[in-house]
Amino acid sequence: MTNKTEKIRFIFRVLAWTFAASAALTTSASAADSERAHQLLREIDDLWRGQSSHAIMTMEVKTAHYTRAMTMEAWSKGTDKTLVRILSPKKEQGTATLKSDTNIYSYLPKTDRTIRLTSGMMSGSWMGSHFTNDDLVRESRREDDYDASISFEGRRDGDDIIEFTLLPKPDAAVVWGKVVLTIQAHNYIPLTELYYDEDLALARTFVFSEVKTLGGRLRPTVMQVVPADKPDEYTKVIYQELALDIAIKDDFFSLTNLKQQ
Amino acid sequence: MHIFSLATRNVLRNWHRSAVTTGAMAFAAAIMILFAALMDGLLRDSERTAVAMNLGDAQIHRHGYLADPDLYSLLDDAAALAGNLRSHGFHAAMRLYGFGLAAAGTASAGVQLRGVDMDNEASVTLLHRHVLQGDWLAADDPHGIVIGRKLARTLAVTLGDEIVFVGQASDGSMANDLYRVRGILKSVGEDVDRAAVFITIPAFRDLMALPQGAHEIAVMRSDRNSDLDAARERVAALAPQYEVRDWRQLRPVVARLLDMADIQTIVMVVITYVAVATIILNAMLMSVFERIQEFGVMKAVGVTPWNIVALIYLETMVQTAVAAGAGGLLGYAAANYFTDHGIDLSHMASGFSFGGIAIDPVWRAYITPQSLLVPITFLFLIAAAAVVYPALKAALIRPVSAIHYR
Repeated sequence: MTNKTEKIRFIFRVLAWTFAASAALTTSASAADSERAHQLLREIDDLWRGQSSHAIMTMEVKTAHYTRAMTMEAWSKGTDKTLVRILSPKKEQGTATLKSDTNIYSYLPKTDRTIRLTSGMMSGSWMGSHFTNDDLVRESRREDDYDASISFEGRRDGDDIIEFTLLPKPDAAVVWGKVVLTIQAHNYIPLTELYYDEDLALARTFVFSEVKTLGGRLRPTVMQVVPADKPDEYTKVIYQELALDIAIKDDFFSLTNLKQQ
Repeated sequence: MHIFSLATRNVLRNWHRSAVTTGAMAFAAAIMILFAALMDGLLRDSERTAVAMNLGDAQIHRHGYLADPDLYSLLDDAAALAGNLRSHGFHAAMRLYGFGLAAAGTASAGVQLRGVDMDNEASVTLLHRHVLQGDWLAADDPHGIVIGRKLARTLAVTLGDEIVFVGQASDGSMANDLYRVRGILKSVGEDVDRAAVFITIPAFRDLMALPQGAHEIAVMRSDRNSDLDAARERVAALAPQYEVRDWRQLRPVVARLLDMADIQTIVMVVITYVAVATIILNAMLMSVFERIQEFGVMKAVGVTPWNIVALIYLETMVQTAVAAGAGGLLGYAAANYFTDHGIDLSHMASGFSFGGIAIDPVWRAYITPQSLLVPITFLFLIAAAAVVYPALKAALIRPVSAIHYR
C-alpha cells in the first residue's frame, strides 16, 4: 500500500519536472524561433525594397464587371516615398499617385488638379484594383507592426517551405488580424501571403510566381491577389523592369513632379 | 321646448358659476385646437420633407439594391419603365447613384453622386424649389452641380467654386472631372445635407461610364389624397421583376413617429380635458345640491327621472355649446395666426431634424378639419361623462325626503 503511494507520488514528480522542463525549453526555443522569424521577415521585406527603386509593371484587374490592364512606372525611396504614374491606357495616361510620408496625393491630368485622399478613402480601391489606397501607404516594415513566429517548417506540396504567422502587436495600427506568409526554405523566396481580417476570416490571398532574376537577384516577378469573398476576381502585378538602389533625390517625390508627364 | 328654456334659465340663474365653467371649457378647447394645429403643422412639414424632397411616394429598385447600393445593381429598362409608369398616370423619375471623393482646394469629403432626371424629377420632388443659394441644375450646364449645405461647409465652397470629383467608373477606370457649384440646397435631411452632390443624368452617365439603366425610379401619385397602399400595388404590378416600396416602408421610423404623433395629440387632449371635467363635475354637483328641494317638488308633480336627466344634460350642453363656439373661434384664430407667422426657432439651433429628416426651423401651424373637430368632439364627450353623476343624483331623488332636505 505504502509502496504504491510512493510510486504514484514519484510518477507525479517526474511528470511535473518533465512539464516544467519542457515548458522552459519551449519558451527559450520560441524566443530563438521568434528571433529567426524576425530575421527572415526582414529579408523578405528587403527583397522588394532597396534604399530606392524604379520599376515598370503591368497591372491586370479582373472583376465580375470589367477586365482591364494598365502599365505603370513606379519610383520609391525608403519606406515613406513612392510615386506611381500610369503609362497606359490612354484614358488614364499621366494619372499619378504620390505617397509622401502618410499622405496620398492623386494627380488627375483630365482636370489638371491634384487631390489629397482623406482617411475615409483609404479603404477604397486603388485604380480599380483589389489593392486599397491603404496598401500603398502601409509600407512600413512588417516586423515593426507584427509579432512573427514560425508556425510550420518542412515539406508541403513538394516544396520545402517555412510558414510564418504574424500577429499584430497590441498597439500597432494595422487593419489585419493575422497574416500568414509562406516562403521557400532554401532561397527565402515568398510563395504566398494570406491576410485575415479582425475576425480571423481569410480576406485575401497573395500568390507569387515566375521567379526570375530581376533587379540583380532572383525574385518572383508576378504577384496575384485574390479577394476571399470573390474567388473569380483578381489583380495581377507583373514586374517588367526593376532597378534597386538607384540615385534619386527626395524632391523627386514632390507635388510639382507629380504633374510631370 | 319648454325644457330647453328651463335649462337656459337654470344656467343663467347662477351666471357667475356658469361663466367660469364655460370659460374654462372654452379656454381648454382653444388651447387644444392650437396644439393640434401645431402638431399637424409639424407632421405635415416632416412628411412633406421626407416625401416631397427626397423619397417620393414609392421607389423601385433592383432586389438587394437597398441593402447594398452597388453601382452595377441597375434597373436595366429604367427609361421604358418610367415611361410606362407615366402613361399610367404616375409621376416617375429615374435616379442614378454613385460614390466617390469630392475635393476643393485642400479639403475633401466622401460624397454620394446623385444623377437627376431633368425632365421628370421636378414632377416628383420639390428639390428644385429648395435651393438656398444659386440655382437648381440645368440641362444645358452639365458641369454645374448642386450640393448639400453641410457638404458646402465641409469643402469650404461657395457658389461658382470648382469641385473635383474622383471615383471609380463602371469600367474600373478612374472617373474624374471638374465641376462648378451652381447651387447649395436648404436642409433636406442628414444624408443629403452632408454628402449629396446632384448632377444631371447625362453628365453622370458620361462620368461613371454608365450608358443606360438607373438605380432607382421615384414615383409620385398624381392625386396625393388617394390610397398609398393601393398606389404601391399598382406600381408593383407595373414593375413585377423589381422591389417596390412606399415611403412608409422606406422610412418606417419616420412613419411610426408620425402615427404616434397623432395619438399624442389625443392623449394631450384627454389629459387636459380631465381637468376640465372636474370643473364641470364640481359646478353641476353644486347646482344639483342647491336645487334638491326643487327637484323633489318637480318629481312630486309628476316629472319623470328621465326628464330630470335630460334637464341636467341640457344645462351642461348649453354651456358646452357656448364654450365650443367661443373656444373654436379663439383656437381657430390663434392657429390661423401661427399658420401665417410661424414660430421662428432658428435662433435656438441651426437645423432641426426629426428621425433624420430636416424640418423647417420656422414652425407653422396647419389647420385641418381634424385639428378643429377632435378637441371640440372630445369636449362634448368629456362634459357628458362628467355630468353622469350629478344627473343621476338629481334623477333618483325621493320626493318626500328631498322636499324636507336642509
